[in-house]
Amino acid sequence: MKRIGVFVCHCGSNIANTVHCEKVAQVAKDFPGVVLSTDYKYMCSEPGQVMIQEAIREHNLDGYVVAACSPRMHEPTFRKCAARAGMNPYMVEQVNIREQCSWVHADKEKGTEKSIDLLRMGVAKVVKNEPLYSTTIPVTKRSLVIGGGIAGIQAALDIANAGYPVTLLDREHTIGGRMAQVDKTFPTLDCSACILTPKMVEAAQHPNIELMTYAEVEAVDGFVGNFDVTIRKKARYVDFDKCTGCGACTEKCPKKVPSEFEMELGVRKAIYTPFPQAVPNKPIIDANHCRYLLDGKCGICKKVCPTGAVDYEQKDELIMERFGAIVVATGFEQFDISAYEEYGAGKIPDVITGLHLERLMNASGPTAGKIKRPSDGKVPEKIVFVKCVGSRDEAKGRPYCSKACCMYVAKHATLLKEKMPNSKSYIFYMDVRTPGKNYEEFYARTQNEYDAQYIRGRVSKIFQVGDKLIVRGEDSLLGRPVEIEADLVVLAAGMDPRSDAKDLARTLGISYDQHGWFTEAHPKLQPVETHTAGIYLAGACQGPKDIPDSVAQASAAAVKAAGLLSKPELTSEAMTALCDEAICSGCGLCQSICPYKSIEIKSVNERYHGQMRQRRVSNVNQGLCQGCGACTVACPSGAMNLKGFTNDQILAEVDALCQR
Amino acid sequence: MNQITKEMRDLARELLASGEVKGLIGWTKGSRWYLTPPVVITQPEEAEQLYFDQFAVNNLTGLLLDYRYGDDKIALFVKGCDSRGIVRLLQDHQIKRDNVLVIGVPCMGMSDKKAVTDPRQPAELPLLDKCLECRYPNPVIADRLISGALVSGEPSEPKGLTASEAAKRGVGSKQADRFAQVKAIEAMSADEKYAFWQAQHEKCFRCYACRNICPACNCRECIFESDKKGWVNKSATPTDNAFFAVTRAMHVAGRCVECGECERVCPMDIPIMALNRKVIQDINELFGESDAGTDLDGKMPLGLFKNDDPEEFM
Repeated sequence: MKRIGVFVCHCGSNIANTVHCEKVAQVAKDFPGVVLSTDYKYMCSEPGQVMIQEAIREHNLDGYVVAACSPRMHEPTFRKCAARAGMNPYMVEQVNIREQCSWVHADKEKGTEKSIDLLRMGVAKVVKNEPLYSTTIPVTKRSLVIGGGIAGIQAALDIANAGYPVTLLDREHTIGGRMAQVDKTFPTLDCSACILTPKMVEAAQHPNIELMTYAEVEAVDGFVGNFDVTIRKKARYVDFDKCTGCGACTEKCPKKVPSEFEMELGVRKAIYTPFPQAVPNKPIIDANHCRYLLDGKCGICKKVCPTGAVDYEQKDELIMERFGAIVVATGFEQFDISAYEEYGAGKIPDVITGLHLERLMNASGPTAGKIKRPSDGKVPEKIVFVKCVGSRDEAKGRPYCSKACCMYVAKHATLLKEKMPNSKSYIFYMDVRTPGKNYEEFYARTQNEYDAQYIRGRVSKIFQVGDKLIVRGEDSLLGRPVEIEADLVVLAAGMDPRSDAKDLARTLGISYDQHGWFTEAHPKLQPVETHTAGIYLAGACQGPKDIPDSVAQASAAAVKAAGLLSKPELTSEAMTALCDEAICSGCGLCQSICPYKSIEIKSVNERYHGQMRQRRVSNVNQGLCQGCGACTVACPSGAMNLKGFTNDQILAEVDALCQR
Repeated sequence: MNQITKEMRDLARELLASGEVKGLIGWTKGSRWYLTPPVVITQPEEAEQLYFDQFAVNNLTGLLLDYRYGDDKIALFVKGCDSRGIVRLLQDHQIKRDNVLVIGVPCMGMSDKKAVTDPRQPAELPLLDKCLECRYPNPVIADRLISGALVSGEPSEPKGLTASEAAKRGVGSKQADRFAQVKAIEAMSADEKYAFWQAQHEKCFRCYACRNICPACNCRECIFESDKKGWVNKSATPTDNAFFAVTRAMHVAGRCVECGECERVCPMDIPIMALNRKVIQDINELFGESDAGTDLDGKMPLGLFKNDDPEEFM
């Protein structure tokens, strides 16, 4: 019989208030195999751990059970504690009498009884524990950053500067993302392009960064340290090796298309670069609008190209690359305002969004920086802003705050006043949220120096009368209805997750919340990690964020990725599945169910009635297996067993529970 | 001699004489008028032993397991219900596709020999319940077909030589009742259910006929014969029998091809298919309708990992 120690933790009063810890320890003395049972105020504390280590040596323990908090909390602590005393760390079982007992019960007698049951199970299990050993797997010292907005660029630069190669992938054909569309940035009013473009160029020229634009992640296999990523490089129809970016093709292209970059306020050509500072600054052909690709007529771009770079025959290309770490920085989409019919959104041309206004303000935008309203090009004087459109609105399925709108509306009001001193901005708001450095000061200036009128209340209706827009709402501070005759209405549209974010999450095997924002591993203590080791989050794909937050998070994610890449090798999971080849019938159910693709079928030779014969059996790749146990339940023969959770161990626990 | 039997013998003779197959599994005339048991033949002249009628009910596919490690090509006859067993064995990689030659036969519906009153006097017998509920009277997979049999991977009407006879006998006429017994048991209170199953499990004496006939029961070493005691005991007590019944049902969960042979061969008339069908009903509700063993390339709902699998238990 193995020699087992039992340590019951009080967790201060967390456990001791609802469980008689001394009694539990006393009862455990009689469990089969137990040679020592004791209790202590804090087992995880230094003296607690020293006590355990001394007991291991003194009583020559083969294994021990600690009845304390959740193994999620302190299993690593108690395993390390065992290792320090020379015990195999997998000879430890942690029984959860806190989250699963003391915290959920009020009756101390019953809590004690339950703790004893749980402990009896733990002891029965640990008797059947075997020492386990992890192996090491190599780390591919390269990182993939998905999304080339400001977060992706920052993460890529930081990882590259740490000395690791990075592939910066963007599905658009330029990096820059949303920030490239923005005119100026709060709270300093720097020109967005002036601070972004140098970073874009730096990323493009960095020796450690490979730019892969107009490309999408198709599939992800493998695991932390060694992700095999299939990337679809979409056909650009322009050979970038030959193209010099002279722009002759764009100039001559006869097909005009509403520009996505300009929020459809301007036009682009079918062969185009979306904006002058695009990186790479070479055009691609939009196959959905190119006359040649659609009906085989035209071909002007090919004719005018001096280097013969236009190639209508180009096809999508699939490549597979291996990366050690992945940073996801796919950003957000602006909320689709047409859900607000009462605001005439999507119907009245002069009801626009914040991003539209950014483009109208921008010197290189469709109006060359002159504020002209979309319907008739008139310069507006009275501008109404409506905040929280697609944010903090349960009815529209957006209960969350989009975080950046309060500040960008203040910025807009300031800039409008600067550009047009005769203009007046009215801002309907629910609350003004300015929790950032120098944000509140900026907001105060908008009101005091730039004459923006903040009206607390929701707008109920916006409609057209003549060439005016009537904005009807309520001033809830004065408690009376207000009506403003406006020339232009800007809806401060909130942030939505990318509409295809869930697809990417499934491809990557990361989780997302009910809205589609990617979920961090811990909201406070692991804000850039995902539940999938080796995949990190940066920027607004994790939740609404402004530029400073996105950049900060990107750098945080980069440190995590670089930290992973800096390891010479990774320690693999020791609690992995193991196939009993004698029982395995080779049906392969485990192979198809394995989420980590860690099971392969191999052929074994065996002697049977004097003859050699071959048969199929499963083989678990111990480096890839994460010990989820899916195969062990799928296996019809019971050939698959999870080390540390063998069928025998679980049965022993069930038996122990039934013995009370 | 009926037409199907004649065609069976002709084809068997040809296959064995040409050496295309090393052996052939079929049915033969039994010692009584209501018995048509399986037979394995290896010589062309043995083809005369083959026989087919409405008592050739045995699903022969499980017998292929005897050949699973060999390289001999074996031919066998399948009715619609049996043929899903072939798909089961292929999907479970227990037989190699090249080592089996599947011969599809049309089915007129199998008679229930439990209704025999006089063993000496041939009589008209009612169809087996499983034939009344039959949804796949035509083979879902076959390399050769005889007597007008047709391959169909979808639920279909009986085809071939005996199509009209099958229709007249009511094959598939009670398809809608497939889950009737499951619903009836679900409607019971917990105590009633317990009493119901306890009564069934008291009858079981662990002959393992249900396991032996089942094409999905193809483990190398059956857990019920394993020396790893603990989960289940060999003794035929109601408790251990209950454990046996549930374990068996879970071992074929998502893989049961609904041939109904387990229930037919049970000497104690335990409603084994009720348990199988309950699992099938649950899988259909959770993962969408599917029929195991009808599509060789199809993925089994329980043999697949998807990120959006339902997980309401989490």
